[in-house]
Amino acid sequence: MKVRFFILSILILSFTQSFGQEKAYFNQTELGALFGNSGPTWSGEDKKRRDFSVTTFHGVKISKHHVVGLSVGFDQYESLSVIPFAVGWRGFLGKENKPQLIGGFDFGGGSAMFEDTEKTEWYESWYKGGVMVSPSIGVRLPARKGKTSLTMTLAYKRQELGFFTGYFERDNLRPLINSQLLPGYSSMTETSYLFHSLVARMGFMF
Amino acid sequence: MKNQRLLPLILILMVSCTFLSCQDETTTSFTYRAMVPVYLKMSDVRARQIVIEPGQELENPGKIYLYGNFLLINEPQEGIHILDNTNPSSPINLNFIPIQGNVDLAVNNNMLYADNFVDLLVFDIRNVRSIKQVERVKDVFNHMYSNSETGVILTFKDSVITTTSDQRSITNGFFSRDASLSFASNFSGAAQSYGQGGSMARFTLMSGHLYAVDDNSLRVFDVKEPAKPKHLQNIKLGWGIETIFPFQEKLFIGSTRGMHIYDASKPSNPIKMSVFEHLTACDPVVVNKDYAFVTLRSGNTCWNGPNELQVVDIKNLREPKLVKAYPMLNPHGLALTGDHLYIAEGKHGLKSFNVADVMGIDQNQLEFLKSMKSVDIIPGPKSLIVIGPDGVCQFDYSTPGKLKPLSCIDVKNPVAV
Repeated sequence: MKVRFFILSILILSFTQSFGQEKAYFNQTELGALFGNSGPTWSGEDKKRRDFSVTTFHGVKISKHHVVGLSVGFDQYESLSVIPFAVGWRGFLGKENKPQLIGGFDFGGGSAMFEDTEKTEWYESWYKGGVMVSPSIGVRLPARKGKTSLTMTLAYKRQELGFFTGYFERDNLRPLINSQLLPGYSSMTETSYLFHSLVARMGFMF
Repeated sequence: MKNQRLLPLILILMVSCTFLSCQDETTTSFTYRAMVPVYLKMSDVRARQIVIEPGQELENPGKIYLYGNFLLINEPQEGIHILDNTNPSSPINLNFIPIQGNVDLAVNNNMLYADNFVDLLVFDIRNVRSIKQVERVKDVFNHMYSNSETGVILTFKDSVITTTSDQRSITNGFFSRDASLSFASNFSGAAQSYGQGGSMARFTLMSGHLYAVDDNSLRVFDVKEPAKPKHLQNIKLGWGIETIFPFQEKLFIGSTRGMHIYDASKPSNPIKMSVFEHLTACDPVVVNKDYAFVTLRSGNTCWNGPNELQVVDIKNLREPKLVKAYPMLNPHGLALTGDHLYIAEGKHGLKSFNVADVMGIDQNQLEFLKSMKSVDIIPGPKSLIVIGPDGVCQFDYSTPGKLKPLSCIDVKNPVAV
């Protein structure tokens, strides 16, 4: 539901652009890669992650050097697909129409809506989204003509996710009062993931 | 200016993380239900004085026993509630006898017998407002000792356990599934090796004797002197014993494998007459002069037997014969009063039949109360007591085919069906 609301908001923001608020509207769209370290494997060596990432930020200029807005994207963490969405800020350092430094900060969540939920006779399982935080730094290289600029960004992205498996209670035992076991389950496995990634992206802004 | 301050901050964050090579973190918590072993010294249990407490809310009622105007309800492993049931429409919770490890009870001439782990306790309940412990018969349920020399008993507490690990593999999301499987197998392993309710005793009184069955044996006590029970002997029965039903100097003992019939015309020494065997299933038994009514049901804890009511001809007790089996939905307990049979059908409700014609029980169904989910039924002199997810409910059954609800005693943690 939250995701839909976000996508809708972004669409509305996009429309405002075509209704003549060109000066206020700001867009940054980039794609790149996520790099991370998922820790030691069974053999003891660290397993590196390298996955695809895309993000689009739609914002409004609130002053000469500051933009606030909403972002949505798509991140891959090995086999997991996550839709990150956030409120964000972009700040610029340097003269206009010259190469500038860009700072950014996004805070929001990641949704695992594309991950299948599974339900069998014995158990059910699903992925849960989680909090996402991403500070970033980059450069803006304006084109000679027009308002579009080329951008290159390095970001840190912290994404939380969860996975739940619940085995159904099949023995009709009396539930235990005040227990941490949810009613209807004989056992539960809850896994929480925290991904730390370095993101390198390239794209454009206008 | 603001930018100049923010940018280095962001840079530091990113660089620190990159160069310190942050690793992804994975934490997995397993929450499961298991029987946790608890070791107790019997000397400590005996040293504790039993002080009668005021009436307490029913949490998880076990055996229910009717004695005169009183309703005695066991709280498994905790003790016994005593309720004044003079008016079945509004029973009054009087008091609670806290007895560790208690699962069963019986009353003989104002003497209440209750198990306390390996011991049998006797309480004088003549005046329910001043109950006194009058006797402790030691070491009679000694199968519960894990070490009889040191006097240590092993009991199990039904608990929910959460363990957390920080395993790091996230490969294809398979980690979680693997982990849950291995933990599920641990769980079933635990359940297997400890077993549930293996120590349960079931009591019944007949001809001046108290009979207690546990999982595999029958214990005989002489209670002709009610305040001084004497333990006479243990009779091995075989595994999976569940219920005991006394009738006309016979003991009908229900097990997961069948029904044992014992001749107790010499009460101190019951002798096996026959065993009526069937498929493995859970099976309470009720009996009249000519027939035994046995319910079998399927379910994980009872293996996977059929769901049916079996009518067994016991006119010749040495050769019980199956007369007819009627399909049922999920029959649990049952009660017989005269020609009327009441069957608790678990989540499906409560059924009543006229069983005068044992060949046509299915055609003589009197009532099927689908909303009255139930697991056990006790026919009392004033009311029919039905145990189910709504608590302990009582019905007026003076018109057997038309039950009239009287009252329900709330239960904190009712039975699940």
